[in-house]
Amino acid sequence: MIVQGEYTFPGTREAIWELLLDPAVIARTMPGTEEMVRVAPDRYEGRMRVGVGAITAAEFTVSVQLADVVPPERYTMQIDGRGRFGFTRGTAQVRLAADGAGTVMRFEADLQVGGKIAAVGQRLLDSVSKLMTRQGLESLSKEVNRRLASADPGSRSPNPGSLP
Amino acid sequence: MKPPVFDYFRPASVDEALALLAEHGADAKALAGGQSLVPAMNFRLAQPAALVDLNGLDELAGIGDGPAALRLGAMTRHCAVERSAVVAKRAPLLTETMPYVAHPQIRNRGTVGGSLAHADPAAELPAVMVASSARFLLRSRSGERWIDAERFFTGLFATALEPGELVTAVEVPTLAPRTGWAFEEMSRRHGDYALVGVACLVTLDAAGRCAAARIALLSVGEGPVLAPSATAALAGVQPTADALRAAAEAVNADIDPPSDIHASAAFRRRLATVLTRRALTRAVERIATSAS
Repeated sequence: MIVQGEYTFPGTREAIWELLLDPAVIARTMPGTEEMVRVAPDRYEGRMRVGVGAITAAEFTVSVQLADVVPPERYTMQIDGRGRFGFTRGTAQVRLAADGAGTVMRFEADLQVGGKIAAVGQRLLDSVSKLMTRQGLESLSKEVNRRLASADPGSRSPNPGSLP
Repeated sequence: MKPPVFDYFRPASVDEALALLAEHGADAKALAGGQSLVPAMNFRLAQPAALVDLNGLDELAGIGDGPAALRLGAMTRHCAVERSAVVAKRAPLLTETMPYVAHPQIRNRGTVGGSLAHADPAAELPAVMVASSARFLLRSRSGERWIDAERFFTGLFATALEPGELVTAVEVPTLAPRTGWAFEEMSRRHGDYALVGVACLVTLDAAGRCAAARIALLSVGEGPVLAPSATAALAGVQPTADALRAAAEAVNADIDPPSDIHASAAFRRRLATVLTRRALTRAVERIATSAS
């Protein structure tokens, strides 16, 4: 499954870079994340609970290994999630480009989902990933705006972030 | 394939059911026909701590014929809707759709309210209710409220139902004069989840121009999807083959279909266009037939 897109944030590349790699921010903004810890400079581990509708029990332990890290320009994540109901693994590339006062984040993930969750929920994987991506980007954008507002209390960002 | 342990309640009245749902909060699920919930529990993908079984509540089942609307109790089985002469007369779009809802065995148990509350993006009834401008009666311990179908469905398996709230009835408005209807669906095998489906109502004025239209699609988004662009393309025009084709093409602006192993997003877009054109064409033909 390919998940890709781009999103424009207010703020500099350096600021967005810092947010994207902050485990506390990841835990707050990635839908379903219950815990996320940076166990090494280039490695995160955590727990996620993913559910839609009546299906609420899909808990995963997740590890993310960073590679090809070029601040504040790009990084690659090797994602490995396992749970009682299946697994997900794959890679995701994130690239940041300056765009005026803002930053454009482009992402492309190639994920495999397997096990019971894929067997039963195959037809929903695309919709669920779209939904989680949108929710994640919206809460990241809120986080960015909150930081900008607290760093510079006199002005609010004119650009609240937007999906293309 | 056995569910985890859960508490089971079989209330004798709607009030008792609402009290039980309020008491157990998010740990409880209402059990209607159980055709989606029970398989999910058997796969252990859903693990409610308590089920509140609505099957004993005769007050929630039944089909009523009112002056302005057809009324369906939430626990009315799909098969009862499918075979109802009153539904066929008052809400023929619903009658035409029912054979597409899963298989006969599932329609024998599955309920109208259960399907709506489950809000599966591939389900037929949510789209038909949105196309029909239906409204739903929601009840909780603190009272009741009506909500338009269009506002009830809020996302992927998501609805405007608050915790402790039940869908208790559905009202489908009577069709305006000179209104045609059609439902179209494509699936790999009959009864499978639809790759794409479309429900439409078209009303023509005395001069034969399109006075109103409602087009709702399924399996092309997070829930039932209204097609305002397609509807706008029909406004005030003579429903010629070209006009209907143009309206069907406009559906592309209204949908964001998913890809899966059965059909790519691009294929679903193509299907949505073709099925919308077929549905609009049949709806308009029906007006011509009934007027002559």
